[in-house]
Amino acid sequence: MIHVLADQSSTLEGIFRTFGVHWAYFIAQVVNVILVIIVLKVFAFGPIQQMLEQRKARIAEGEENLKRIEQQLAESEATTAAAIAKANEEAQRLIEEAKAGAEALTEQKAREASTQAQQILAKAEAEAKAERQRVSAELKKEFGRLVAQTTSQVTGKVLSDDDRRRINEDSMAKVEA
Amino acid sequence: MRLLLTTLSVWLLALLASANAAPEGYVLPLFTEPVFPGQPDWLPITNSMVMVWLSVAIIIFFSRIATRKMEMIPSGLQNFVEWLVESVYNFLETLLGSHLAKRTFWFFGAIFFFILVNNLLGLVPGVGTIGWDYKDAEGNYVDYTPVLRGGSADLNLTVAMSLTFALLWFYWAFSENGTKGFFAHIFAPKGSFSGVMFILLVPIFLFVGLLEMISIAIRPVALSFRLFGNMYGGEQTLETLMTLMPKYLAFLPALPFYFVKVLVSFVQALVFMLLGAIFVKLICDHGDEHEAHH
Repeated sequence: MIHVLADQSSTLEGIFRTFGVHWAYFIAQVVNVILVIIVLKVFAFGPIQQMLEQRKARIAEGEENLKRIEQQLAESEATTAAAIAKANEEAQRLIEEAKAGAEALTEQKAREASTQAQQILAKAEAEAKAERQRVSAELKKEFGRLVAQTTSQVTGKVLSDDDRRRINEDSMAKVEA
Repeated sequence: MRLLLTTLSVWLLALLASANAAPEGYVLPLFTEPVFPGQPDWLPITNSMVMVWLSVAIIIFFSRIATRKMEMIPSGLQNFVEWLVESVYNFLETLLGSHLAKRTFWFFGAIFFFILVNNLLGLVPGVGTIGWDYKDAEGNYVDYTPVLRGGSADLNLTVAMSLTFALLWFYWAFSENGTKGFFAHIFAPKGSFSGVMFILLVPIFLFVGLLEMISIAIRPVALSFRLFGNMYGGEQTLETLMTLMPKYLAFLPALPFYFVKVLVSFVQALVFMLLGAIFVKLICDHGDEHEAHH
């Protein structure tokens, strides 16, 4: 066993000698490797990874904000749409009300106009009737006067008021008949 | 345009490298060497160590410039470095999952960039070719020691990285599984068995667990020798190829291999990180248990 170990040890020593592995050099290289690792960790990887993390966080935050803005926009759009729908509804109601009001007014005005027209018509009829009666009375009076005058001239007699009245009545009765 | 610039850069690198070629007959040794002539053994300043310091300095320099004035909207170097870091992180995250990636990125990220910078620095003209000539009393060439040697072409560094990873692997494995969970993960029968079947399977899974332990012990060795072998082999190939032509045309045979070496530099950094991440994933993966719970 000891022989085997001794043989292996000398083989290993031979390899080390061939390749120039020396304790002092080896330890110095270990120090170098550790130094490089520390230097890179402190001066390169640390700040760079920190920056990458910050940037990642910033991007994530931006994404989050974007989502929130999109959500707010969607909410705002929904609110606007609801407001527009409500306004439309209100406008529709007002239009309906206005339409209904206009129809009632039209009906009332038409009724008033009709009443007024009837009144005008009745008045015109009354006036026409009165005029006709007046004209008729005048015509009767004129006719009576003409009959009396003619009678007077034909007979050569001066007619009294009673004669005139009787002649008038007779002639009128005949005309009216 | 980018392709043209890259091609021109590699041509220039090869040309400069050939101009600085090592002395004739020089072969890059397997081992790292002290930088200064007559340097004591205990002083750990080797030619690969200088390259490692250089790569550390470059990494610190760019890290500081890129992160000095961090802005929410990145530009210039900050943008480039963020892209690099984020790409590696996302790659690890797809492999390890969010939790493990967050826990282990500091190590895997650092190792990836460190190996990559080291590998690429090995291609810079002068690395392996500028050094001290040792001559005898009559002025004849005796030996040559390069002042710079590719960091990853030194087994001391690759072993240091592998063992650091191995220690961290144990730390992550125990902290994720707990002591009982760690050993259960290795030795306990996988799946839901009971009765005789369970008793029959126990020895098999104990044996499998033993093999797993051997595999775990071998991992750092494999990691370190793979990286070292590839990078040393690459540099050796380039230097050998440069000796095939006269000095000022020496870059020509090596030129295609410069492109390959750029690719290998990246692939080897990726392989080291990837294998490490897979080893962590294998021991920390609770997929089956989670499914069973659900």
